[in-house]
Formats: sequence, C-alpha cells, structure tokens
Amino acid sequence: MKFAAVKPVSRVLARELALTALLLLGVSMVVFAILYLAPGDPLNVLLEGQSPRSELALGMREALGVPRTWYGQYAAWFGKMLHGNFGNSIRTGLPVLPELARVGVYTLTLTLGSLALTLLIAVPIAVHAAAHGGTAGNTAATIVAYVLSAVPVFWFGYIVVYVFIHQFGMFPLISGTAAKQEHAWLYFLVPIFVLGIASGTLSEMIRHLREELSRVLAEDYIRTARAKGAAVWRHAFKEGFLIPVTEIMSAKIPFLLGGAVIVEQVFNWPGMGRMAWQAAQDRDFPVIMGIALVAAAFVRFGNLLQRVVFTAVNPRASRE
Amino acid sequence: MKRILTIAVLGLGATMALCFPAHAAPKGDGRPDGGVLNYSEYGRPATLDPITSNETISLRITELVFNGLVGIDEKQEIVPELAERWEASKDGRVFTFFLRKDVKWHPREGDAPQPFTADDVVFTYNIMMHPRTITPLKVRYEFIEKVEKTGDYTVVITLKRPILNALAKFSFKIIPGHGPANPQYLTREDRFAHSPIGTGPYMLQTVTGDGEVVLVSNPDYFKGRAHIDKFVARPFADQNIMAQALMFNAIDMIVLVNPRNLPEVQGDKRFVLQPYNALSYSFFGYNVRNPLLADRRVRQAITTAVNRQEMLDSFFNGQGTVISGPFAPGSWAYNLDVKPLPFGPERARALLTEAGFKPGADGIMEKDGKKLVFSLKVPIEKESEAVKRVVLAFQNYLKGAGIAITVDFKEWQAWKEDVFLEHNFDIMFASWVFDDSADISSLFHSAEIGDWRNNFGGYSNPEVDGLIVESKLTLDHEKRRTINRKLHAILAEEQPYTFLWTLTNYSAYHRKLRRVQIHPYKFFSFADEWFIPASEQK
Repeated sequence: MKFAAVKPVSRVLARELALTALLLLGVSMVVFAILYLAPGDPLNVLLEGQSPRSELALGMREALGVPRTWYGQYAAWFGKMLHGNFGNSIRTGLPVLPELARVGVYTLTLTLGSLALTLLIAVPIAVHAAAHGGTAGNTAATIVAYVLSAVPVFWFGYIVVYVFIHQFGMFPLISGTAAKQEHAWLYFLVPIFVLGIASGTLSEMIRHLREELSRVLAEDYIRTARAKGAAVWRHAFKEGFLIPVTEIMSAKIPFLLGGAVIVEQVFNWPGMGRMAWQAAQDRDFPVIMGIALVAAAFVRFGNLLQRVVFTAVNPRASRE
Repeated sequence: MKRILTIAVLGLGATMALCFPAHAAPKGDGRPDGGVLNYSEYGRPATLDPITSNETISLRITELVFNGLVGIDEKQEIVPELAERWEASKDGRVFTFFLRKDVKWHPREGDAPQPFTADDVVFTYNIMMHPRTITPLKVRYEFIEKVEKTGDYTVVITLKRPILNALAKFSFKIIPGHGPANPQYLTREDRFAHSPIGTGPYMLQTVTGDGEVVLVSNPDYFKGRAHIDKFVARPFADQNIMAQALMFNAIDMIVLVNPRNLPEVQGDKRFVLQPYNALSYSFFGYNVRNPLLADRRVRQAITTAVNRQEMLDSFFNGQGTVISGPFAPGSWAYNLDVKPLPFGPERARALLTEAGFKPGADGIMEKDGKKLVFSLKVPIEKESEAVKRVVLAFQNYLKGAGIAITVDFKEWQAWKEDVFLEHNFDIMFASWVFDDSADISSLFHSAEIGDWRNNFGGYSNPEVDGLIVESKLTLDHEKRRTINRKLHAILAEEQPYTFLWTLTNYSAYHRKLRRVQIHPYKFFSFADEWFIPASEQK
C-alpha cells in the first residue's frame, strides 16, 4: 500500500518540477522587463556624488562590460545564471548568491517561525469549533483572531516596539546589542510573533480549517466509521486536516514574504526583505532578479509540497 | 534631501606652506586608552575603500582607516600626514613630497605589516585614473599631469596648470600597492573594497552578517595609537529607532540626528548635541527656458512671496540659516553683506504687476493670455516628510501671490532624467552638497548648459560667465574672494534659484566621550584624539 503511493508522487513531482523551471524562466523575464522599462539606470548608483555626465556613464558601461541592448543584457545574465552565477550586486560588488543565502536564513526563520505560530493558534480553535460547534469560548477566540488579522502589520509592529520600549523599558530590537541583554532571545521572537499574529493569515486559516474539517466530519464515510465505533480522527485526519493545512500554508507563503519586507524594516531584521528594499531603491538588478527568483522558488516549493501531500494522500489525483 | 548631488567647490581658505615640519611623536598626552564607541548609521556602506565609495557612510569609515599626503586640521589649515614636508616650484606646477619613513600598512592576517613607500602614492594615482575604475575622484584630479617616484620616499606631482590651493587637494587617501587583488584598476567586486587595509588610526576587524563594521585601534599608528579601542558602526533602517537606541545606551553616538528627534535628545543630560556646519543648501531652481520664468521679476516675486524663515522654523525647528546666494554660509566665498530677500507678499504682487501681469478671473496672474502656472518637480526620497511640507507650503504661499504650482513627485532616477536630461520642468527642488575642493562654476556658467550638465535651468548671463572664468584663472586667494562676493551679489539679485537655507547638522553623543572635534564633511578626521575616561569605559 505504501509502495503504490510512491509512483504517482514521483510522476507528479517530475511534471511539477518541469513546470517550475518554466515558471522561473517566466518570472525572470517579467522582472527583467519591468526593471528595464522602469525609469532610471542601475549604474547611476555608481555615479552618485558626481555630476551626472552622459559620457561618463557611457564610458562606465564599456568599462564594466555591460551589453548595450536589453536582450544582450538578459542573455548575459541568463547565461551566467545557468552556471549558478547570479552576478554581483552593482551597489556593493558582492556576489549575489552567497549574500542571498546569508540573509535568506533570517527570512526563512522569520516566515517559517511565524507560520508555525499561526498554526499553533489556528489549529486548536478550528478543531474545537469543528468538533463541538460554536461554543462561547471558541467564538470569542475566533473573534479575537479576526480582529488581530485585520490589524495592519506595520502598525502592530510599531505598537509592539513602543510597548517594549516604554512599558517594559527594554530595548531588544536591534541586532548585536540584543545579544548582550538579559532577554536577548526576545529579539528573535518578537518579529516572529508580530508577523505570525498580524500578517492576516490567522483568520483565513481558522475559517478554512474549520469549514473543511466540518465538511469532512459530515461525510458518509465518517458517519460509517463512527457507527462502527472506529476512531473518527484517524479517518478524518488526511482529508479533513492534512490537506486543508498544506493548502492554506502554500497559499499564504507569498503574503508572508510580503509581510516580512515590512516586519524586517520595522525590527531592523537583517533579512531578504530589507535587501530587496535597498536593491529596489538602487535599481540593483542582479540582486532584484536573485531575490525574485528565490521568492518565486520558495512560493513554488510551497505549492509543490501541497501537491505532493495531496497526491500521496489521494493517489487518484495524479491520474486526473 | 538625504541623497543629494555633490559637486566640487573651491578649497577652504587654506594657506600654502613650504617645508612644513612634521610632528611625529607617540600620543603620550596623558589621556587614557580604552573603551568602545558604538555609533549608528542610517543604512549600510556599499564599499569601504576610499576610491570606489561615494556615500557619506563609507566616507566616514575611510576617514578612520586611511591617510592622505596632507591633512586638514581643526583650524582648516593644511598639516603633514603621510608626507612630512613638501616643496612647491616657483610656477606652482611641480610639488615634491618627502614621505614619512615610519609608516606601516595595517597587517593582513598572518602577514607582517609592510612599509608605506612612494610606490603606493604612484599606485593610488594610477588606479584612480584608470578608465575602468569608477570613482568620483577622477574628475577632481584631472588637473594632475603626472605622479612620479624619484626615491623610495620622494614623490613628484606635476600639474597641467597651476591652481589655487593645490596643496589642499593632495588630501586624497592613499591605498597600498599590495592591497587590491587586481593591480590595474579597482572595482567594487575587488576584495579590497570590502576588507581594506590602510595606514590610519583604525584597522578594519570585521564586517558582521548584520552589516556592523568593527574597527580596532591601530597600535602602530604613526601619530600615536588612537585612544578609543574600538569603533563600531551599526546600521539602522529607521531613524526613530536610532534615536531610541541612543536613549537606551545601545549606541553612544548618532552622526546626524533627524531634526524631529532633536528635542528628545536635547532634553537629556546624558548627551551632548554638537552642531556642525554642513556645506550644503536647499533651493528651488528655475528653468529659464520657460519665457515666463526668463523674466527676472517673476523669479524675484516667487522668492519674495515665500516665507523662508517661517518654513525653516516650523519644519526644521529653526535649525538652520536662510541664505541669500549660491555658496554655503560655512564657506569663505559666502557674502554676508548680501541679505536674503525679505518676505513681502505685497512686494511680490508689485513685481508681477510691474512685469505686466494682471489677476485673471480665477485669481491667477496672467499676461497676454499666458497664466503663471508652473510645474514643480520634486524627487522622492526616503524620509521625505519635511520635503513634502516645504513643497506644499511653497505651493500655498504662491497661491496667495497669484501663481499656481502643480507639484509632481518623481522617483529619484526619473527626476534626474527630467531635470538634467529632458529639462522637462519649470521649477525643481533639490540640495547641493559641497565638499572642500573646486567651485560653483558648473552651476551657472552658460557653457554648462546641456545634457546632464549642472546648469539644468539654462541660466545664461555674460557677466556671470566672465566672473566665473576670472575666478577660476586667478591664483590670488583674496582676489578670488572678491570675485566670488560679486558673483554672490549678482546671483542673489538674479535669482536663478530661490536659495532656501543651510540646515545645521547635529551629532549627538554620550558625555563619556571627551575631546570630540567633528569635521563638517569627513566627520572622523580628528577621532584619534577622542577618548573615554577610564571610569566610564565599563
């Protein structure tokens, strides 16, 4: 029985990976086109602090070996990328890939941590509501969760900063210094807490999980199981829990990444979001392309995970 | 207003000295060594070498790590640094520098420190001028014909033509020949740009993953070991949080306090607020290609209709000075006898009437069916709240004078293209920042009209052109001063810009730091003298 599940999964996986490659190619083209059409020249950042003379800018292009045409530029980038070289940042001159790996870890901690937190809050509420109907307790919890989800994440972030500084009189919110303070671990938890609570995922997660689980619990096969006296949870787990959870997780990854940009700015968190912000200001196209691809791959990976779980649970899905 | 255009300006009134004696001695001033100084920066440095870097964050760090042939002291006088003395030829074209023999480069890990020699000076000049090196320094040193080594510790620099205050320009930072991986030219990709070694009072120790730059005192510094053990530059993404960090002793110094946070810091006894004079000013610039703005009276009317002091007081807590002309008030060229045009709405109306304008049905002044409606292009900057207020106030004042302004906020790069290339604007808002070299000729000389040239407004006046050329050619400092004062008076009358103000910059630091002197542009020039009393080193 276990073996039967592997084949459809591998088939789905192969197809999805091929699609992923195409998708990333498309993303790189669209992002490049936007960068190319947007006003401003990425090389201007190097000329800052001097009078902007065109001769100088032209000479610089030659000096740096930048192709003149847009397709030349894209081809040059693409060729290098196939060899695993994402180029060097125009602003700092540092290679993009190691830099992305460095800050990516911080962003991954932030997004996955906040996702875990959201699940930790959403799952008990949703399961309780599905199993017992709307009790006073879970209704109240749901309302609170909805309100928190409606709060803008940047606002919530600043409120938390304010509370920490003025009420608790502590300043865990800058890196480096935090390590020397008594409650340094808070520095890592506070942004995760903020993103997990206020990114807007919480309410949707509760609703989705509750509805799916209620629907499954009302299905004939569950009723049969219940009638036979078998464990309802074991039968309902795959369809009523595992699938909705992975579905909502994969659907919410892009929103979390967007929220991370803001939270990183507020908390001085040295992640990909801040790097993206700086790169966008500078038109630092190798960095922007790199971040766009990593973010796209991350989102795609979430979808893929969901597909794999779905197929593994329900082998019929691969034949559709 | 944070990111600005920098142009070169005339050197600060420095006197030329022949055979200046060097003061090479260990510190031994009885002041304690030790302690750490954490200071905040609004953003991260892109590179840390003095050649490829072009922003103030890097400039401050290179000031700690490197030295020039000559330096400039607290009194703005030229003092020996890597050169212990020098000689200038009679015609002012040939300078011979005799270098110190006791200077060592910071050691690279595992290596012995290498001595500084004439080769390094020649190397620095060559790498700076190489066509593939992109550096703002290149334009500034085009006046040099050649740099030659005539002995291990002697360098001869020949100029293309004699220039005033040439000596002050030899303060550019020298980098080691064995530093960059590529000895031909320097790019930002070179490891030297990220882990440089210099001769200065501080050595780069590490750059952490969070972008903190850690510098430690150089025990072999030729002017004697700097007192404070360690300087740490911490990047911040938010200026309010930066001020909070100071309040919570997480940092000891903010190099530039956001005007909004000034009252908070001011009220706290633990900190010193030190003003320093920025060589910069803000202005509204006019495109005189627009026939309406070509009339001087219209430009004067605009300036008169705007209450500059009120804007300065309400948007910048009054932290600055209203100016009258094209130089920064901190510069010797500024003419204090010329007063800013006073605020006078009636006078503005009178000027417009004199120019033949009459109020139209909608209250907008018009002449021959042409209405005084102008587009104002403003670049969007990070933290541009104050800029927005200035622009809206400007619009409001002019509405009262019968002039309509349509404000167009543009992304920085797009704004530059509109103003400098397309000249597609009537009025623009910006700031100039001056360093301590060169001149304002590129702003108002008619030869500087064109694509990507600094005379973006197309201002042309034969008298101004003449004075600019005369000022450039003279080698007499007093004469040049007189010419510049005249230039100032003419441009104050002509109003090719509405000159606004110079803001006072404030640095805030903890009282434990002593003997703090700040260079207005390079900031850390005198930091090797700063110290922290032993009792407060923690």
